[in-house]
Amino acid sequence: MASALVLLLLFWLAKNAQVEGFAYFMNIALIGVTLGAVYALVALGYTLVYGILELINFAHGDVFMMGGMISATMIISVFNLGAHNSTFSVVAAVAVSLLVAMAGCGLLNATIERIAYRPLRHAPRLAPLITAIGMSFVLEDIAILWKHPSYVQTPSVLPHGNVFSISGVTYTWEKLIVVLITIPVLLALVWLVQRTRQGKAMRATAQDREAAAMMGINVNRTISFTFALAGALAGAGGLLYALYFNEIRYDTGYKLGLIAFTAAVLGGIGNLPGAVLGALVIGFIQAFNEGLTWHSPGSDWTESIVFSILILILVFRPSGLLGEQTPEGG
Amino acid sequence: MSGEPLLQTFALRKEFGGLVANNDVDFVVPEGGIVSLIGPNGAGKTTFFNMLTGVYKPTDGTIVFNGEDMTGKPPHAYTERGIGRTFQNIRLFQNMTALENVLVGMHTRLKSHLVGALLRTPHVRREEREARERARELLEFSGLRGKDSVVGRSLSYGDQRRLEVARALATRPKLLLLDEPTAGMNPQETAEFTAFVAKLRSQEHLSVLLIEHDMKVVMGVSDTITVLDYGEKIAEGTPAEIQKNERVIEAYLGSAAVSS
Amino acid sequence: MRRGRISERWWALLGRFGLTQQRWGSWPAWMRRLVKATTWLGLGLILTAAFGTWTTSALAVAAVVLLIVVPPWDRLPNIGPYRTGRWIPWLIALGFVVAYPYYVNGLPQLPVFGPFPNVHTMVVAGIFTMMALGLNFVVGYAGLLDLGYVAFYAMGAYVCGWFASEQFAGQHIDVGAVGLQQGWIGIHLSIWLVLPIAGLMTALIGVIIGLPTLRLRGDYLAIVTLGFGEIMPQVADNGNNLGGFNLTNGTGGITSIDGPGFGHGTVARALHLPASYLGAGNLDSLFFWTVIVLVLITIFCSARLRDSRLGRAWIAIREDETAAAAMGIPLMRTKTWSYATGAFFGGVAGAYYSSYNGGAFPDQFLFQISVFILCMVILGGMGSIPGVMLGAWFLAYLDQEGLSNVGGWINSHFNTNINVPNYEFGIYGLIIVVVMLLRPEGLIPSSRRAAELHEGVHDEPLYDVEELNAPLTEPTV
Repeated sequence: MASALVLLLLFWLAKNAQVEGFAYFMNIALIGVTLGAVYALVALGYTLVYGILELINFAHGDVFMMGGMISATMIISVFNLGAHNSTFSVVAAVAVSLLVAMAGCGLLNATIERIAYRPLRHAPRLAPLITAIGMSFVLEDIAILWKHPSYVQTPSVLPHGNVFSISGVTYTWEKLIVVLITIPVLLALVWLVQRTRQGKAMRATAQDREAAAMMGINVNRTISFTFALAGALAGAGGLLYALYFNEIRYDTGYKLGLIAFTAAVLGGIGNLPGAVLGALVIGFIQAFNEGLTWHSPGSDWTESIVFSILILILVFRPSGLLGEQTPEGG
Repeated sequence: MSGEPLLQTFALRKEFGGLVANNDVDFVVPEGGIVSLIGPNGAGKTTFFNMLTGVYKPTDGTIVFNGEDMTGKPPHAYTERGIGRTFQNIRLFQNMTALENVLVGMHTRLKSHLVGALLRTPHVRREEREARERARELLEFSGLRGKDSVVGRSLSYGDQRRLEVARALATRPKLLLLDEPTAGMNPQETAEFTAFVAKLRSQEHLSVLLIEHDMKVVMGVSDTITVLDYGEKIAEGTPAEIQKNERVIEAYLGSAAVSS
Repeated sequence: MRRGRISERWWALLGRFGLTQQRWGSWPAWMRRLVKATTWLGLGLILTAAFGTWTTSALAVAAVVLLIVVPPWDRLPNIGPYRTGRWIPWLIALGFVVAYPYYVNGLPQLPVFGPFPNVHTMVVAGIFTMMALGLNFVVGYAGLLDLGYVAFYAMGAYVCGWFASEQFAGQHIDVGAVGLQQGWIGIHLSIWLVLPIAGLMTALIGVIIGLPTLRLRGDYLAIVTLGFGEIMPQVADNGNNLGGFNLTNGTGGITSIDGPGFGHGTVARALHLPASYLGAGNLDSLFFWTVIVLVLITIFCSARLRDSRLGRAWIAIREDETAAAAMGIPLMRTKTWSYATGAFFGGVAGAYYSSYNGGAFPDQFLFQISVFILCMVILGGMGSIPGVMLGAWFLAYLDQEGLSNVGGWINSHFNTNINVPNYEFGIYGLIIVVVMLLRPEGLIPSSRRAAELHEGVHDEPLYDVEELNAPLTEPTV
């Protein structure tokens, strides 16, 4: 059954590649990679938190949105960037914005955990999920209060020139930059989780909270750290979103958060490489659905398709593509 | 004393990941018998129990109850066919009253459903009245007279154990599975409980399968004893035979030496 | 613990004025009620005089409340098996609710909140009360978090649209419909028929959604229901061209849905029942009285089912799924029943709402509405019928009138310019967080649920206990 579906999907892709021509197909795929990179940053946050607390941090998408808002503020109000700026000042401004967005969202996420989830550590397990939903709405309204309900437009400061253009396949700089920012952030995450003391504490806490506490690990601090880390990733995602899509609104995070959560589930929730893989798959699916024309449902149905994937995965293969693990083990 | 086999397992096996919790266990509880399952901590007794009640699905092997193959059926099917159980770490419905706990146990023996419950037909009303009466009788039988409307969490430890048994009896079992029922009881409570188990067989004509650590209880009440160690059945026999069995002594001494 | 300390301090303070807890306890119950009610009402009257618009009718309202609350009704003799004392205060209260449209305009202005809600608001509040009570079957009784309840509301609304409007122009069917114009087209069933049909079809959807998903653990189930709740409006949005077939009329929605009515039959005329609600001058009042009946039916079903074998099974599952299964409760079937029951009332409420609105529009069915209804259940008290009703009524009132009134009051008193209704959902979010943190049992708790939320429950799902590595096994139906 599943393999039949995959075959059908492959046939649909191949047929589209034939109808549209290979170059067009590849261009769409490159959009998919870019989307996937943004989704990956957010999906990792879901997976990190789920791994350690078994909590779907529903407000995570909105933390991402706040990251976008912080970035927009930095780009517009603090640096006043526009097309006129020199390459160096853009790079410096983007780097500073990235750090500010990551720090701000890390702090925000850890604060949310402290206020809304920690007091419920021993309550029934649905209780923190419910407060997470509440926090999600609160964050959206803070964004409305701060930025009004309309879209915040950010200037397009990334260069749009071609990195390469080979027989119709063109890769533009702004797409490459999204990936170029994502990769070091991911590498830093891997290093942090696998090599540092704090990362080891996270892995131990995820495995068995009580045992970790008995071995002298400060569980509360480790959980705070995990939330801060997840928030920082979301902040980086928010910056990329603001730079790449150039507009962001209070409810951007809700929709994108659900898509990213789907990616985390698809990869196997709790599994870090899985989240990245899932995000890429979802990115491709979205790009192909919206870009290809031969019998594709089109952008009207993107969310339905993503949520159908979410439902099917949870019902038929809840461990995802790579298997459910303690997050940091993989 | 013991008649036809009521419950039988054939090469019952359970693995968790690579870990073998139960290794091809063949096992019989005869009708009207009291059988004990003993073994050192971690020998796989509770895993075995959980398979016999459908909570775990066996990796391999067969469970036959009352002549019917029950392998792979969901827990409520086991209860319906007549296997009642208690839990090692008491699992009452803590915020329901004693009476409600017992009424939940009667679930499979009652018939009222949505429409009947909405209209409260005479039939449903009578069924409900009779169920409550029987629940009170069961509470009394289990030594919980006058505690009908006390919620689970407010009962004393011993009473919670008794309520678990009453709740299991409410399912009208043919076979009652008791998982360490005397854990945490004082000697007097334990003695009362042993007498109670004997009474279950003589008055209610139940078969009983018991997991127990207290050897006094085990030796006093069982017809046969099965010993598990590291998931394997290492011995089976009457209390007298088991007391003399070398492998059993070794298993216990060995584990005692490690754990204490 | 914290609440205990507050009440201790409270009693210490009262004790200084000679009112110790023992003394209070020695008074007869009616006197305690009198003192309590007088205190609260007095406070209310003072506030009304200070911040509201004072009319003598405020005194009348206070007197009526005193008259319902204080007398020792429980001393009344029983009539047969029926305890009159329990029913009389509720019947009087119901009488006042039914008469609401007649005296609402004479009521005083409340402090901060302004005028009492108008009849239109009361109709909407009634509809949301039904939905909240429906969700209460799922969240409150069976302990399953449903984040896509709006899907059931949408389903009910569209069923009403299909069977009581001109949506299917190719058809020409009339079964007891009222108020049809000359040259009508489409399917027109009587709304009284449409309501149960919508309920049943929605319940069926509930079963279809539930069967594959209800074996999932709680948080996964919540997300899956959310997924369905998101897919539904997108289907409604894009459903004007499903392979060429126009099911939902797309973003425009289905409009000019029929209203209810009793027609011109002899029985209807003899009982002075209105022929068609939409043509009547007191349209809101008619819809209001009808929704009271619907809410009463919902309350009746909620109470009956809670106290039945099925209700006990729901509560047992909520408390400890593994033990419930071991006691012979079929988990899947029982959960599905709670889902179907909840869906039924969501569907009926949705259908009724769309008949009242005269339309069903896809932008009514957002995730926010699911959370709105969930917030009602949480605020009032999960599992508690009076609590959920209070939560639903209050939040629906805030949504319709309260927030803008309060916003107006804030802006005029503090010289600000905040558009308070803009922040509606953030306010609900805040309510959810605050209630979950400080009073998880809600305003009017059911005693059992309160203990669970404070002491915790055995809520690890059954199949988690077993399957450490293997994927989840086949459903247990």
